[in-house]
Amino acid sequence: MKVARAFPVFSAAFAAIYVICMDNNLALVSYFPRTHAWYWLTVTDLPKSAGPGMYWYGWLIVAALGAAALAALSLAVPARAMERVGAVSSWAVPTAAMLFLVVILRGWFIH
Amino acid sequence: MITVLLILHALCAVFMLGALTHQAMSAWWPPGPGPRSLFQSFRAVRGAAYTNTIVVLYVVTATLGSILYPTYRLAVRVVLEDLRFSAANGIFELKEHFVALGLGMLPAYWYYWKRPPGEGVAAQRVLTLILALIVWWAFLVGHVLNNIRGFGS
Repeated sequence: MKVARAFPVFSAAFAAIYVICMDNNLALVSYFPRTHAWYWLTVTDLPKSAGPGMYWYGWLIVAALGAAALAALSLAVPARAMERVGAVSSWAVPTAAMLFLVVILRGWFIH
Repeated sequence: MITVLLILHALCAVFMLGALTHQAMSAWWPPGPGPRSLFQSFRAVRGAAYTNTIVVLYVVTATLGSILYPTYRLAVRVVLEDLRFSAANGIFELKEHFVALGLGMLPAYWYYWKRPPGEGVAAQRVLTLILALIVWWAFLVGHVLNNIRGFGS
């Protein structure tokens, strides 16, 4: 369970990084399903014939890599201190992220 | 092929929905002693036994969803936009992001269910509840959108 004590930090960091990436469209890869083409980073300037771009995969990868790095760093902090922080942040940060998403996506529901 | 994947995706979601609902109920509302009704028996499961299965089912269901997603993006979302079903697109957007956040929550969820009894109980209960809400939302939204577009159309 030594490495596992970083798991709550991973979950909190993942949520925070994911919403930042989503809100600013920071993707490690972009996918264009009409042409089945993958590109590094966020690509938005292709001709219309390329069809719509998908960035969700890219946001997930950035969030996973960033959260893994922060979780690894958290192992350097004394376990007792991290235990308290992790117990709350592991659910509080994702909850805040969900509320933030509802707010920024409200345009779909309010005209 | 897409239809087969869609059915597999839905079946995995149904299994996960049942497992997570059992686990969340057992964590938040354990039954008291004495004879049990059907509903009390539903809450009387040993929640920890479900953890690994739920993690695997969540990852498998999300992976199947990510394979189906490009087809949705081209064949369903465009139609919803043409029909000006803005709210339908909005609820799917929320589904996609909530499921992603749920994926990130799985390590903490697993960690708190694997703690010795009595440790990290609050985090364990809240994480389970949030995951259950995400899965219920994703399941209902997927069902509604499938109804709007029409199966196999």
